[in-house]
Amino acid sequence: MTTVNTWTTTQHFWLVILGFFVAFAPRFLPLMLFTKREIPEWFNEWMKYVPVSLFTALVVKDIFIDSATYQVMFTQIPEMLASVIVIVVAYRTRSMAISVIVGLLGVFLLSLAL
Amino acid sequence: MNKRRLNPKQVPDPDEPLWRSTLRVAMPLNLSYIPIGLACGILLHAAGFNTLLTGLVSILIFSGGAQFLIATMLTINSPLLSIVLMLFFLELRYALLSSSLSPYLKGQSNRFLFFFAVSLNDENYAINYLKFATDKKWTGKEALMVEHYSLLFWALSNLIGSLIGSALKIDLGIVNFALTALFLYMIVMQIKNRLTLLICVIAGLLAALCMMIVKSTLGLVISTIIASLIGFALESTLRKYLPESHWLWKLRSPGAKKSAVEGSDGK
Repeated sequence: MTTVNTWTTTQHFWLVILGFFVAFAPRFLPLMLFTKREIPEWFNEWMKYVPVSLFTALVVKDIFIDSATYQVMFTQIPEMLASVIVIVVAYRTRSMAISVIVGLLGVFLLSLAL
Repeated sequence: MNKRRLNPKQVPDPDEPLWRSTLRVAMPLNLSYIPIGLACGILLHAAGFNTLLTGLVSILIFSGGAQFLIATMLTINSPLLSIVLMLFFLELRYALLSSSLSPYLKGQSNRFLFFFAVSLNDENYAINYLKFATDKKWTGKEALMVEHYSLLFWALSNLIGSLIGSALKIDLGIVNFALTALFLYMIVMQIKNRLTLLICVIAGLLAALCMMIVKSTLGLVISTIIASLIGFALESTLRKYLPESHWLWKLRSPGAKKSAVEGSDGK
């Protein structure tokens, strides 16, 4: 695999440092704030729906959104089918490791077959 | 659901040292990090990151999504500012995750919160949130240990990935699917009633719509906020006016662990 990027190591380093700050602030500030004072009840009730909404959005991005044009696409047939398999396996086994491994195997075999 | 089946594996052994019981909780995640971490290391190597920086980025940013994004954007030669801005929007979701964990971390020192925040990410959040909600004995200390185990496995897999990056040729699209499968698993674990299932569908449609309009992953943040607000509004309306509504019925799952079902009973 050839390197296509022309950045220097120093530039990469600064990217990592800046990335750390934008990654750290949203994780730390709410923790700091809300462990000191009471969180309103409605906020907790709202937060209950955040993970499921977020994970669904990420899956939709991975499977149905073209990362270059941000248009909806239905061309990733192996991924779509493998997703269905993963859902069934996760529902039946409740095991993270089995779900991921079956998913990887599934998408690999399906992309060979299709 | 009145009679709980006791799974022999679930009975805690009082003599088991803490490092082992937390490792047991973290192990499925650790194992699924290996293929994803390897893939991420290979991708970062392909994007020109050296092995040392790959290790640094896995420890400091510790987010599969963010690292995959860095790798992708570097290969298309995006400017520094636009990568950092994209990272910011991608990582903004952690504000929601860490807020939702904060009720369980009351009274912890700022130093603890610092370390907790540094090693928080989507996957160990899901594990810790489930444990906090279902296991009364689960405290910040155990949660931090789970985070550190996952960090260790993640960073090591990334390093190894970076080292074998030049030697190995694999289809990155397939490896990328490990992350998708992980998210799918977490969605399935989150669905407790029909309403959550409905919100799931709404969230998916909104995500596609928002990303088409905004043309960036910022659409993910917007759609998450809207979909979770819809869920919140629908649930409080249903609980107020239609407490018997079938939308609030629990879904049962075969092989459901006791811990996975118990969570929402309290309130």
